[in-house]
Amino acid sequence: MKRIYILMAMVVMALTAMAQTTLLDDMKFYWRLGYGIGGNAPLPMPATIRSLNKFSLQPNMSIGVDANRQIGDHWGILAGIRFENKGMHIDADVKNYHMEIKQGGETLAGYFRGKVDTQITQWMFTVPLQATFRVNKVNIKAGPYVSILTAKNFSGYAYDGYLRVDDYTGPKVNLGTEKNERGDYDFSNDMRDLQWGVDVGADWQFSNHFGLYADLQWGVSGTFKKQFTTIEQTLRPIYGIVGISYRIN
Amino acid sequence: MIYKNIFLRGTLLGVMLMLLVSCFKEEPLNAEADIEQATLTVDDPEAFFYNATDATIDVLSDQTTITFEVRGTADLTALAPTFVVTEGATIVPASGSVHDFSQGPVTYVVTSQDGNTHRTYTVVFRRITHTVTEVLEFNFEHFELDHQFNQFYVWHNTLADGTLGDDWATGNAGFKISKSKAKADEFPTVPDPNGYEGFCVHLITRDTGQFGIMARKPIAAGNMFLGEFDISVAAMEPLKATRFGIAFTQKPTKVTGWYKYHPGEVFTDKERKQHPERKDQGDIYAVLYRNHDANGNAVVLFGDNVLSSPQIVAIARIPKTETTSEWTSFEIPFNYKEEIDEELLMNRGYNLTMVFSSSIEGASFEGAIGSELWVDQVRIYTEKEE
Repeated sequence: MKRIYILMAMVVMALTAMAQTTLLDDMKFYWRLGYGIGGNAPLPMPATIRSLNKFSLQPNMSIGVDANRQIGDHWGILAGIRFENKGMHIDADVKNYHMEIKQGGETLAGYFRGKVDTQITQWMFTVPLQATFRVNKVNIKAGPYVSILTAKNFSGYAYDGYLRVDDYTGPKVNLGTEKNERGDYDFSNDMRDLQWGVDVGADWQFSNHFGLYADLQWGVSGTFKKQFTTIEQTLRPIYGIVGISYRIN
Repeated sequence: MIYKNIFLRGTLLGVMLMLLVSCFKEEPLNAEADIEQATLTVDDPEAFFYNATDATIDVLSDQTTITFEVRGTADLTALAPTFVVTEGATIVPASGSVHDFSQGPVTYVVTSQDGNTHRTYTVVFRRITHTVTEVLEFNFEHFELDHQFNQFYVWHNTLADGTLGDDWATGNAGFKISKSKAKADEFPTVPDPNGYEGFCVHLITRDTGQFGIMARKPIAAGNMFLGEFDISVAAMEPLKATRFGIAFTQKPTKVTGWYKYHPGEVFTDKERKQHPERKDQGDIYAVLYRNHDANGNAVVLFGDNVLSSPQIVAIARIPKTETTSEWTSFEIPFNYKEEIDEELLMNRGYNLTMVFSSSIEGASFEGAIGSELWVDQVRIYTEKEE
């Protein structure tokens, strides 16, 4: 938590410094309220994931404040802070999928064929730093972002299939669909606390104060810590956020 | 124009995400290399097998020895067993190829569809001659660590010809699912050097940990039985995992042996709720049952019907396991519900199981963690033939 406060303090200081050192006319402040859709996805999609049965929308709210300073006619710079959730809930068919059923200190690893239901929650503070290019009322943005997670969950269950314990020659353990017949897992503690990536987007200031915006946050860092090898592919958080902005000044 | 682009961008974003999840690759090839079923087709099955159903064996996922039990008169010199293997897998020598099994087992190697997994199977034809053994002795001296994980104990019995058989099974493999890192001595069924004579078998009701709580199977009673344990259903339908019984061709009259029993402190139910008023007990029993139904289908008794099935012919069950730290003898007569059909008996139409459990309600996951039953020197007496 300490890191979060330090980061927030730094951002506030930076924004204040920007506001003080430049003419207020050069600096525009915005509130943002958005909603995100996306997932922590392996790219490219491994052959072991066969199909997506269900993709449920999650409460991926994003609220934040930005400062955008124009430098010249078109170019500018944007910095801000957001509090947002990147959540995902999917149900997928898998085959030959390396899996670890995990509860408390107990694990059962092997290769699973069947269905996997996964739910991810990632509440975080995100700080984007973007170059902007303005054409009339539209501001195109691109640049890196850093996120610090304040709450995280990566859990779910394998069901309606079977696990070969350890490897493909291991005993076959059938898993059912009822709650006490399936294999639960929880990898929340293996998730990274710090994420970073690239944020590309655009703002459209359609009225004096109100605007619409869209951002694509493409995670460069993976979801899990390096030591975590249960899920063989790197899962990158890739989320698109759309919402409304309000220009304060 | 630009406004349009922005909307387009928003839409594109969504489409892009959809594409990301929809770009599925071609299905990977199968990586498993199992023999799922083995069959021997012969011209005169009646002369070759005791029961027509013995010609097909459903192979459990953790079995690599496939044993056909055939009549003592069966000619084993040129047999061509056929196999159902994992889809796309190959088997060498080929399914249906002719081999001489009279010189011993034949080894088959299965290779998975993706070519990366190999499993070696041994196929045995065991000639069963009708031997008359007045007393069957089980001393539990032959045990070793399982071959798959090298982690838990398995037992072997001495067969009529002096070789070792796999007639005794335990739930240890199932315990491995809930406690994958347990050491050999932490499993529910372990050998103990302080037997009545030599080693005995020591059964302990264990805590199944987090997985057990999740699955509402919070305890695992130590158990041992004549039959086989099917690990594949252990997580979903544990009562179906215990496949009780082996073919038996004599009329059993009584079971004797030695035991010690010590109940665990706290009796708990499926929800792990404590019941201070209840005290745990062990169980020792034997069941003789008809192994085919009226339609000729093979019948196996499971955890949910081993003491209640209409197929049952006789039961021998200890009235109560006394709490004792001294070796205590037991002698339990078989209580017959119906007459034995001698011809059926000769033709392996009956199965016998013998069961030991450290918690009498262990099959319903009720009992006290820490309940212990020690068993040694078990004898099954049979009726002398005239």
